[in-house]
Amino acid sequence: MLERELKRGSAELLILALLEDRERHGYDIGKQIEERSDGTIAFPITSLYPTLYRLEAKGMIEGRWVEKAGQRRRRYYRLTPGGRGTLVRQRSIWENFAKAVNRIAGVKHA
Amino acid sequence: MLERIRAAFAGSSVDTDVLEELAQHAEATYESLRADGASEADASAKIDQLIDGWRTDPIALRRVIKRAVAVVPPSETTSWLSGARADAVYGLRVLRAKPGYAAVTILTIALGVGAATTLFSVAYGVLVRPLPWGATDRLVRLTEVRGGKEGRVPGTMMNGSYLAWADAPQTLDGIGFYGGENPATLTGVGDAIRVPVSRTTPSTLQLLNVPPLRGRIFAPSEGGRLNSDPSVVVISYPLWEQRYGLREDILGQPIVLDGVQHTIIGVMPRTFRFPSAGVQAWLAWQAPPVDGPGGTKTGSIMRAIGRLKPGVSIAQASAEGTARAIAAPDAGPVAMALFGAKEPIQITVRDAAEAAAADVRPAILILLFASLLLFLTAIANVANMQLARATARHREMTIRAALGAATGRLARQLLIENAIVGVLGSLAGLAVTMALVALLPSLLPAGFPRADAIEIDARVLTFTLLLSAITTIACGVLPLLHVRKLEIARALGDSSAASAGAGRGRLAVVRSLIVSSQVAVTCVLVIGGVLLARSFTAQITADRGYEPESLLTAGIPFPQSFTVERKEQALTRILDRVRARPGISHAAMSTGLPLASAGGFAVFQFPSPLRGGAEVDVETYRRVVTPGYFEALGIRLRAGRVLNDADSPTAPTAVVVNRTFVAKYLEHIPIEQAIGLSLGTNAVRAAVGKVEASIVGVVDDMKQERPDEPPQSEIYVSFAQLPGINHGQQAYLVARTTGDPLGYVEALRTALREEDPTIALDAVMTMDQRVGTSLSRPRLYAVLFLGFAVFALFIAGAGLFGVLSQSVSQRSRELAVRTALGASRAAVIGTVLRQVAVATAAGLVIGLAASAALSNNLAPFVYGVSTTDWLSFGVAPAALLLVGAMACVMPAKRVAQTDPVVVLRES
Repeated sequence: MLERELKRGSAELLILALLEDRERHGYDIGKQIEERSDGTIAFPITSLYPTLYRLEAKGMIEGRWVEKAGQRRRRYYRLTPGGRGTLVRQRSIWENFAKAVNRIAGVKHA
Repeated sequence: MLERIRAAFAGSSVDTDVLEELAQHAEATYESLRADGASEADASAKIDQLIDGWRTDPIALRRVIKRAVAVVPPSETTSWLSGARADAVYGLRVLRAKPGYAAVTILTIALGVGAATTLFSVAYGVLVRPLPWGATDRLVRLTEVRGGKEGRVPGTMMNGSYLAWADAPQTLDGIGFYGGENPATLTGVGDAIRVPVSRTTPSTLQLLNVPPLRGRIFAPSEGGRLNSDPSVVVISYPLWEQRYGLREDILGQPIVLDGVQHTIIGVMPRTFRFPSAGVQAWLAWQAPPVDGPGGTKTGSIMRAIGRLKPGVSIAQASAEGTARAIAAPDAGPVAMALFGAKEPIQITVRDAAEAAAADVRPAILILLFASLLLFLTAIANVANMQLARATARHREMTIRAALGAATGRLARQLLIENAIVGVLGSLAGLAVTMALVALLPSLLPAGFPRADAIEIDARVLTFTLLLSAITTIACGVLPLLHVRKLEIARALGDSSAASAGAGRGRLAVVRSLIVSSQVAVTCVLVIGGVLLARSFTAQITADRGYEPESLLTAGIPFPQSFTVERKEQALTRILDRVRARPGISHAAMSTGLPLASAGGFAVFQFPSPLRGGAEVDVETYRRVVTPGYFEALGIRLRAGRVLNDADSPTAPTAVVVNRTFVAKYLEHIPIEQAIGLSLGTNAVRAAVGKVEASIVGVVDDMKQERPDEPPQSEIYVSFAQLPGINHGQQAYLVARTTGDPLGYVEALRTALREEDPTIALDAVMTMDQRVGTSLSRPRLYAVLFLGFAVFALFIAGAGLFGVLSQSVSQRSRELAVRTALGASRAAVIGTVLRQVAVATAAGLVIGLAASAALSNNLAPFVYGVSTTDWLSFGVAPAALLLVGAMACVMPAKRVAQTDPVVVLRES
């Protein structure tokens, strides 16, 4: 149960964090997660879009079709003010969680 | 790739949008794999794997599109009250979902309500609230009018008329006779200070019938006739508190005012303010009879109040007063001097509260009218925005109606939502009002009548509540009409969000009408504001007959103890010291100063050489001045010479007159011919016998108070040629300086201190400051009106912008089709702008016509410009067209930059 919640929470957190500075399309988001986690985080690509749509339904991100010259249109996602708030909250939860794990397990993180 | 995905998801309910997105992802992955060196077959297999992964849970791929209202509407309940509460919660959440919209709406209402409520509190406090004078029922103000003119102090009555009526009046229960707020020097308790004092007959306080807090009020016989007579004094609570520390043995204490010792016999309660808020003490006084010893005539004009006997009408009281005044002893030339006419005498009777604020009533009513216009514009704007939202929420309403919500139920919800906006806006407006009312004492010009009566009370709150109700209803009713017209089937059948349904055309017309009326109201306010502003600047720059720049002025109140000789010596020595100071080019003394005191008044007869020696009656202002007065003030000499040091006690008596004097009493002769004419031996009465006075110079007219006052005849005589005459306790000093006049204030003080440390400068001001102060009311009116106008411009701009952007987004499909079919961009933009242009033009026409009809009401406040001034009438349309153009920029740009292909594909 905990594992599932954590996984789900972490996936959402990752997406929100990636959209913090700029809007991105789905493929870009998937690629960024893969690259940045060096493969340590197992993020099944099949759950990417369901997660995106869930976040969108919750009003944390919003998607819109953007047409660029000479390209096919793509759907870009960006953070909503609500999503920004959630990101800030989740970050601090994760930091606290990491600290707690550290204290108990004595794990040092880089 | 898209085909492959479509085939894979055939039969599932996944959106085409989602499929397109997945296809793109798959394609990008495929290309990336190939670029990394994977074979075609390997890459293809990976893609199949990916698609299979997605297909395992197609439900998770359902994309829920966020609608405009993400808030879940409240469900049906049986109880009306709990339903209403749910509606309120829902309304608040809808507002929170659109914070920008909520802020703009609430702010607009707040400013509209704030302006109107503030003006209401001013109007109510100043014009309607009962006077704080105890029992004010049937209290009336009595005013004497002679030959159609009020006295030199408006709203007053002569001593003769008062005495004739005060003796057993038939229509009144009593008459009070009193002076306005008059500063006197209070000595003997702490530092000497100037305190505002009112001289009142004992009957005045008896009439007002306010029980004193301590001691008693005046007995009928108490009080002297002259300023120098010791008398009894009743003091105010603030004076008792600040100067006497609320000491209980206050009764019987001496109080020294202007060097005369009186006795304190009472303290009035804290709330008692009479005749104006600042008065700190009441000095018992008896009106002197007209006929004095040795055939002298005494005239004094003071204010008078009375209380009508029950059942007596204003007209009856007026008739009695007039009859009594006519029967009073003839005051002769004194009446001429005070009224400019002797007959016919008439006593007018008016409600006391109405009379107290008579001179600001028209201005307040006009400003109240303007603020109500502003309020209407503001709520029209909010109604317009609500209407736009109602259009945008058409689908939500339609669906809910289709799902079984009763029309009444939806109407209630809309009303509650609008009530929330209305109440929040009104509360914010009340906060604006409270801030403004708290600031009023510093905003209102000194001497603004009854400023202390302005406060926020139950009536003002009721008024706010009323405005809030109007706002709610106005904002709720239009969308409500919309709800009634819901055509469920048709709207549901129409899947396009861009089309707002059945009532769209009609709503667009309503919105255009609203915008037109906003433009019209704004036009009226801008024209009024510009007229008042232009009038204000015209009064600043008006030629007053003297040069107010670089001029330092001050009053010098001499102590009562100074003899005439002592004053003359002091004047000469002070003036010598001031003149010796570098940087002061001219300095002089006078009995009169523009915007301070008109000086004396002279009534005499002289044998006119222009009429073969026939006597001519002259009533003229007379200023007694030292040489240098004309140079110091910058009064323009037009013929002959000004008074100088050669006009000594032994030289022939010299008089300088102004142009109006020549026109009025010298048969309009060319001014050069007036030089050398004799004014006989009565014009200037020296202490030693009669002397003949001759005109030595003619100067331009000078405006005493306002640049638009009718010209007054004036004569100037030198102090040196009137030795031994008492010209009153106050002299005015004028000094023309190089550089900032305020840099010489200390030099003036030093000059006085060296003469006598007990003399204090009174009201040291530059002439520019006096001019500025005299214009504080016109300035206030202009600033308020312009403020309203600017606010209205913003509102109208926002209204235009709102209509335009909505029209653009609603018609984007139509516009795109037209562009796609070959219409030029300009033509398409023109279509959009035409709607606004028509609304603006219609509003402007109405606004200009209304202004032309209304601006006449501003006539009493406008100086130097016509109320149909072309510039003011031109600025308003120009400003509105500019605002309109600014409102058009964004939506027009949007139209121009829209790619019709995108629009058509999206819709």
